[in-house]
Amino acid sequence: MKRKCFDLLLFFCIIAISIFGIVMIYSASYIWADYKFHNPYKYVISQGIFFIVSLVIMVIVSKIDYKLYKDKANLILLVCFLLLILVLIPGIGTVRNGSRSWFGIGGLGVQPSEFSKIGLIIYVSKYLSTNEKNIKYIIKGVLPLFLVIGVFFFLIMLEPDFGQAFVIVVTLVAIIFISGVNFSFFVKIGLCALLGIVGLIIAAPYRMARIISYLNPWVDPLGSGFQIIQSLYAIGPGGILGQGFLKSRQKHFYLPEPQTDFIFSIISEEFGFLGVLIVTSLFVFIFIRCVKISKRATNSFGKYLAFGLGFGILIQACINLMVVVGLIPVTG
Amino acid sequence: MFFTTTHKRINFLFVVIFIFIVAIIAKVFYIQVFQYKKLNTLAENLWSRNLPVTADRGRILDRNGNVLATNITTTSLVLIPNQIEDKERVSKDIAEILGVSYEAIYEHASKRSSIERVHPEGRGLSYEVAEKINNLNYDGVYLLKESKRHYPYDTVLSHTLGYVGIDNQGLSGIELKYDKELTGTNGAIKYFSDGKGNRLKLNEVYDEPISGLDVSLTIDIDIQLAIENELDNVVSKYNPDGALIIAMDPNNAEILGMASRPTFNSNEYQLATEEVINRNLPIWMTYEPGSTFKIITLASSLEEKTINLFEDRYYDGGGITVEGARIKCWKAGGHGDESFLQVVENSCNPGFVVMGQKLGKERLFKYIDNFGFGKKTGVDLNGESTGIMFDLDKVGPVELATTSFGQGISVTPIQQVTGVSAAINGGILYKPYIVKRLLEPETKATILENTKQEVRRVISEETSSLVRHTLESVVANGTGKNAYIENFRVGGKTGTAQKVNNGKYMVGNYIVSFIGFMPADNPQIVLYVAIDNPKGITQYGGTVSAPIAKNILKEAAGILNIPESKDAMPREYTWLDTKYNLLPDVTGMSKEEAVKTLKGYKIETNGDGDKVIYQEPEANTYVADGGIVRLMLNN
Repeated sequence: MKRKCFDLLLFFCIIAISIFGIVMIYSASYIWADYKFHNPYKYVISQGIFFIVSLVIMVIVSKIDYKLYKDKANLILLVCFLLLILVLIPGIGTVRNGSRSWFGIGGLGVQPSEFSKIGLIIYVSKYLSTNEKNIKYIIKGVLPLFLVIGVFFFLIMLEPDFGQAFVIVVTLVAIIFISGVNFSFFVKIGLCALLGIVGLIIAAPYRMARIISYLNPWVDPLGSGFQIIQSLYAIGPGGILGQGFLKSRQKHFYLPEPQTDFIFSIISEEFGFLGVLIVTSLFVFIFIRCVKISKRATNSFGKYLAFGLGFGILIQACINLMVVVGLIPVTG
Repeated sequence: MFFTTTHKRINFLFVVIFIFIVAIIAKVFYIQVFQYKKLNTLAENLWSRNLPVTADRGRILDRNGNVLATNITTTSLVLIPNQIEDKERVSKDIAEILGVSYEAIYEHASKRSSIERVHPEGRGLSYEVAEKINNLNYDGVYLLKESKRHYPYDTVLSHTLGYVGIDNQGLSGIELKYDKELTGTNGAIKYFSDGKGNRLKLNEVYDEPISGLDVSLTIDIDIQLAIENELDNVVSKYNPDGALIIAMDPNNAEILGMASRPTFNSNEYQLATEEVINRNLPIWMTYEPGSTFKIITLASSLEEKTINLFEDRYYDGGGITVEGARIKCWKAGGHGDESFLQVVENSCNPGFVVMGQKLGKERLFKYIDNFGFGKKTGVDLNGESTGIMFDLDKVGPVELATTSFGQGISVTPIQQVTGVSAAINGGILYKPYIVKRLLEPETKATILENTKQEVRRVISEETSSLVRHTLESVVANGTGKNAYIENFRVGGKTGTAQKVNNGKYMVGNYIVSFIGFMPADNPQIVLYVAIDNPKGITQYGGTVSAPIAKNILKEAAGILNIPESKDAMPREYTWLDTKYNLLPDVTGMSKEEAVKTLKGYKIETNGDGDKVIYQEPEANTYVADGGIVRLMLNN
């Protein structure tokens, strides 16, 4: 792989999706922002600052040889570990939406769990690429890795932020999966999980009803189904072409947190099915580029790193969108 | 290859993610395309709020388009509790302006409803009050235009028009009977609201209210006013227990006017008792009709040719004995020898008993039935009575005798007017009606028109013509003299009916009535006047009711453009009456000649000269002895 080979297509996709994201954050948030802070631009300004900072970091990072991360992987992970401990201390970490998962910096906020995700991807990629012989052995190779992952999972669950922890674990398992760990290992894990679920349902059949009722929000429209129904009220009336930019109605205090978890609902409402197609296509395209980079990489660390970063974005997007459209329940 | 497994597994996970994405897109497509209608409707319900806009109630008009019931616009107060920030302050200020208690308004302001009507405190607000509330400029406080029913003529035709409740719902009369037609469809201002109940500034929809239909009556307001005016006079003059008048066009049974006393004001119906409001006497009251009913006996006898009015004679010795019961004539000593025409003119009861006997009970009761008595006429008003007839099996000689002159049976005024109309209009019974047409209020297009509805032919044209002639002679020569109008052909019949109380006839307490029509050769109006127990006057239909009928008929002649006629039956004079003579033509004569010709009249001249060029009244009109004749002189 050539140095300074910059994937322009990937770059433009990411710029496009980021700018669209900023615009939609404005559209989705100005009502709430005006109501809560008397400043309709509150959220869009933070997002803009993040975008610019990210661009700067991207330029810097793109100048650094990625092999440096492999050397510093342990150090990076240690820093992430310390940050995750720090954020749990009241007074240092701040609570938002019930989770002590933020460092407030001025009006902005960063989540150490996000850094941990990258740190872990680097660490796991490094571990797998340097222990290629051992990973065939479950106890000698994979188990220690799972112990490290388990510690971070535990720390993030202390905040608690189940969603983030879940995304990180799935991403890391995906990296372990492509590294060539015996397929039977995953089949066994999968079977165990499935058997556990089936066992639980047989032991108490009402759980099945509960799962079904999670999937049918109309059973409890003011309780567990509330958010999903409000989301459907946004997506449905969007139709094929949408209500038009800024014309969402659900953002007027109907849909909770329209600028974060449910921004996809507002996109569906304002730009309709067409908007959904464009956004999901951009995500798929970003993933295609990441996969391509991964496949072109000449060493396994590069492969794992590129794939892990891309997969992390995609799995997070998929889980969010599946929640928003009602394919999986809101809580976990 | 070294990385084969890795690349295979990358492809595998790529496919997994791709399936996820496809599933998401498919679900969105399902939501936005297949569930679109359902979700859109549900969401619209969630977002939209309706501010009701009441539709105008249709007006009620007379036959010429004069407005009898209309709407005036008032304002009413509506609160949207979610939008009121400071409920205490808003309630305090509004309570102060309306002059009601703070608690009452606070209760409305804190109701958990999306739209709260301040009822009844905030209904029908005057312009000044509304202006004051409007100036407060509070969020969540709305003023809606509302219409309030208004009856410009107050008490006129009130029983028939009825009245409406606070929500403009018809509660009696035409307002009730035609409530569905009069009521429009309410509209709304549909606006979108946010999750906190605030009004959004997007996509307001105005759902225009649809006004109710106008109801045009057969009533002629001028005739109605003449009737109301006479009834007011009757009340102040005689203080009766009750009084009623109906006017009908006999050629189609359209009601031209109807009213009764006691009455009420439709605008202030709360002040009247339910009894007064609900008893529309012309269709509700039932009583023994008395002599006006003799018209039915007369018409039946003429149709069956059981008597010859002019040749058959009857000797009235003052009474007649039927099955041991003595039926006396109203005239002590009787009318002596009389033709049957005179029997009618004199309203001689024994003569009518003989007429009934000649017909027999089957035929008489068949005609009574055919003339529409004993069942509702079907007039399009609420509260009509049926009346009471004898069961034919139980009719003996006494019942036959009393029925012949209108006692013992019980009928409604509307039955009498409808029946007599049939007797004099050429013989056809029509179903009476009061709603002429339903009109679309904007375009004035007729939605529905009622036309005359023939029930049956009862008697022949010839018989009917003979009835008219006979009744004209009753007015000219008989008991109906007080209804005689110079130069107009009036027919009619008086009635003095005994009232029954506890199965006995009361003494000195009568319903005195008169039924008349005009002109006698081609009747345009039938008028029925009945006064229940007038005080301070001899209780005869001829003395009380006939003069009232005369006053109304005189006005009706002008209203209905009934031309004067030279062919009126000359009146027979008694020593009490002023004599009327046909005025000779003096135009063209010299002044001296004219004065000589017009001996007995008071003469006023106008202009210089010796030749009469114009006279007023014109020649060949009836003028009373000593009446004024004006002459225009020239050379």
